[in-house]
Amino acid sequence: MNGNGVTVLDAEALQRLLELDPDGRSRLLERVLRAFESSAKRLGEQFRDARTRGDMAGIRHVVHTLKSSSASIGALALARICAEIEASIRSESVAGLPERLDAMDRELKAVLQAVTPMLSTPGTPT
Amino acid sequence: MTLRAEPLADDLPERPRVLLVDDDEVNLLLTSVALQDQGFAVTEASSGEKAIRVLADWLPDIVVLDAVMPGLDGFETCRELRVLPGYESLPVLMLTGLDDDASITRAYEAGATDFFVKSTQWSLLAGRLRYLLRASRTRVELERSKSRLARAQDLARMGSFDWRRGQDGPVFSIEGLRVFGIGPGEQPSFRSLLRMVPEEERKAFLELTHSAMDRSTVLATDIHARLVDGRQRIVHIEAEPEFNEHGNLVGYTGIVQDVTDRRLAEDRIRHLANFDTLTGLPNRRQLIWRAERALEHGRRLGHEVALLLIDLDRFKLINDTLGHGAGDELLMEVSRRLRSCVRHSDQVLESSLESVGVRSHRTLEAVGRLGGDEFVALLPEVVDEADAERVATRILEVMRKPIMIGLQECFVTASVGIAIFPRDGASVADLLRNSDIAMYSVKSAGRNSSSLYRPNLAGKGREKLELESALHKAIERNELVLHYQPKIDVRGARMVGAEALMRWKRHGILVPPGDFIPLAEETGLIIPLSEWAIREAARQARIWQDNFGFAESIAVNLPSRLFERTDLVEYIHNAVTTYGVPHHAIQLEITETNLMQQLQNVIPSLHRLNEIGVEISIDDFGTGYSSLAYLTTLPISELKVDRSFVRDLGMTPQSSAVVTAIIALARSLGLRVIAEGVENLRQMEVLHRLGCGIMQGFLFSKPQPPEDIERWLQQTVLPKKAPWIGQASSSDDVEPARATRARESRAKPFGKLPIA
Repeated sequence: MNGNGVTVLDAEALQRLLELDPDGRSRLLERVLRAFESSAKRLGEQFRDARTRGDMAGIRHVVHTLKSSSASIGALALARICAEIEASIRSESVAGLPERLDAMDRELKAVLQAVTPMLSTPGTPT
Repeated sequence: MTLRAEPLADDLPERPRVLLVDDDEVNLLLTSVALQDQGFAVTEASSGEKAIRVLADWLPDIVVLDAVMPGLDGFETCRELRVLPGYESLPVLMLTGLDDDASITRAYEAGATDFFVKSTQWSLLAGRLRYLLRASRTRVELERSKSRLARAQDLARMGSFDWRRGQDGPVFSIEGLRVFGIGPGEQPSFRSLLRMVPEEERKAFLELTHSAMDRSTVLATDIHARLVDGRQRIVHIEAEPEFNEHGNLVGYTGIVQDVTDRRLAEDRIRHLANFDTLTGLPNRRQLIWRAERALEHGRRLGHEVALLLIDLDRFKLINDTLGHGAGDELLMEVSRRLRSCVRHSDQVLESSLESVGVRSHRTLEAVGRLGGDEFVALLPEVVDEADAERVATRILEVMRKPIMIGLQECFVTASVGIAIFPRDGASVADLLRNSDIAMYSVKSAGRNSSSLYRPNLAGKGREKLELESALHKAIERNELVLHYQPKIDVRGARMVGAEALMRWKRHGILVPPGDFIPLAEETGLIIPLSEWAIREAARQARIWQDNFGFAESIAVNLPSRLFERTDLVEYIHNAVTTYGVPHHAIQLEITETNLMQQLQNVIPSLHRLNEIGVEISIDDFGTGYSSLAYLTTLPISELKVDRSFVRDLGMTPQSSAVVTAIIALARSLGLRVIAEGVENLRQMEVLHRLGCGIMQGFLFSKPQPPEDIERWLQQTVLPKKAPWIGQASSSDDVEPARATRARESRAKPFGKLPIA
């Protein structure tokens, strides 16, 4: 699990987050990850709903939001997929979109799987 | 005006307040933490709607808006907050995606100050925020200073303009248009602006403008402008040339300013500094300036310049008797009259003189007031001294008419001194001094005239006037005294009268009569002096009458001009009445020369005096060339043989022949004869032998104060102790003169003298 988390979350990005709160006094990392977890879970549901309804605008909003917040916590693969989806919706090129949406759903789940254990133990992950 | 120093643009608030708006919790949290870490105070809003609500009652220093949000997105939020009052220039930073060009454009359209691509490099965001805050502060200051400038320009009635080569006219700021009375929005053509300038100034202004442009120099000038609404203003124009990168003139930029009020104030100050406030004439400063310019012209063109110093005669008397208000009125009228005597020019010429041309010095001509009752006429070009004298004559003539002060008619005369450049001085100071000397020579010679400066006048004027002024005050200061010289009937060894002689005790020293009587005669002071002498003699007659029964006459010397006065008789009457003595207590002496010169004018007075009993004695007889035919008709009583004949008696046969003839003449006319200047017994004996028994001279007594005369009578005459007593009385074969005999009956015996 630990190893998986390391691959989905970029160490460098996480390090930047830690630098914002060097002595961990404000428990920034935990708060950010919690915020991400709740927001990502909600966005994940909205994503699946929108996909079922074929609501492209709903999908676009989800990927736009996820794009920047996942980048912030170092989920770079997820951020990249979101950006690609957002760009193709904007340019209205649907080629390969369903595959990308599947990939995004997979990657989102993977990121959440990596984040959740980091929240079970308070303090800095090792 | 001092402006308080504004905080520097760098001097940001300690913790700038940021409103952070993002719908993404993660981003909101991270950005917020990052910014707080960088020293910002962050308020978070998770939607546009919430942000607008927060802004309703709280003003941050800067707003950071996520562009894409559900509901009210960043663009809409920005648009809405921009219309809130006070948020027009609040810096708003829009957060966009990296590849989102469309959002960037939309952000600016919505009124965002700037955009920022979202990044995890939070320190970059903080730097951008600081930059925006600084820019905003600078902008606020710029706006403020712009409005301050506009206000200042407005107050200063000033505005700016730009002119580009090839443009029809300059482009003015609103304030600039206002200077010309033109509303905002109109842009006047150069031609229409030029039409506001008076025609006579237009050409010069155009020349100035073209020459500035040709040489690419600064243009600075004042023009008169007649605005559309008819107001006349003076507009100051100042413009600097602007050049392109090749150094070619591309246009001018500058300011226009309405300087009318300032110019009026300046003119007023200049006028006050150069003109006398009472009379409006050029003052000393202005006169000297004009005179200096006139001398420069005279030197260059080789002509003469005349300076006339005009001093009113006895102005002080008018001021003292009628008051300063009357004095001022008089000065104003005198100024008006003096102006009419020259081609008076009122202009203050300091700037315009050179441009008027070769004959421009003519405009320097003026009458000015040096101060008090002193005026100067400056004639910048005269052909010769006669030219200047003609103006002086005109000045004396215009003064002749009486000046009405209230209901009072005043007669004012003036004394004019003339100095001619270059003959009488090379500088204004020299000319002023020498015209002053010439003027004082007029004063000394009796005033109401003019005189050219002559080198021999130097040094006399002031001294004489000081003496005159002191003499004038001598009466009121009781510095004048009368000394008396007895007239002696040598046969009876008796005093049969006395001649009063004036003395002046100045600073305790007796001024010799020769030093002040001629001056008094020259200046006319002899009249008040003589009047005083008449009263004083009457007073003394009374004292002597009381002290020792004096019943003879005291003779007072009068100049002929006093006889010309119609009120002389009345004056004498009043004087003797005041002291309770008879009219004949006063006898009047007039010199033969004086009498003959003014015979026609004097005769009526002589008759009237004679009628009331005042006797007339002819002094210095034999020196003039009396018409004997006239003598027989004159109501005179006594001839006084001139001392020069008496002096030579017994030494030259001619002198005794003259004295014999005078005595014979007197006898035939029934006049008394008296010899003066008798100094020795021999002269006394000869005179007595020739038939003149009444004498006056040092042999008997020098002129003395009245108390000394009384003492002399008691100690010398009464005890018959003098060497002359008894000498003449022994020869009783000589018939005394008629008048003496007649007088004998009136004379009271000396026995009444109180003897100590």
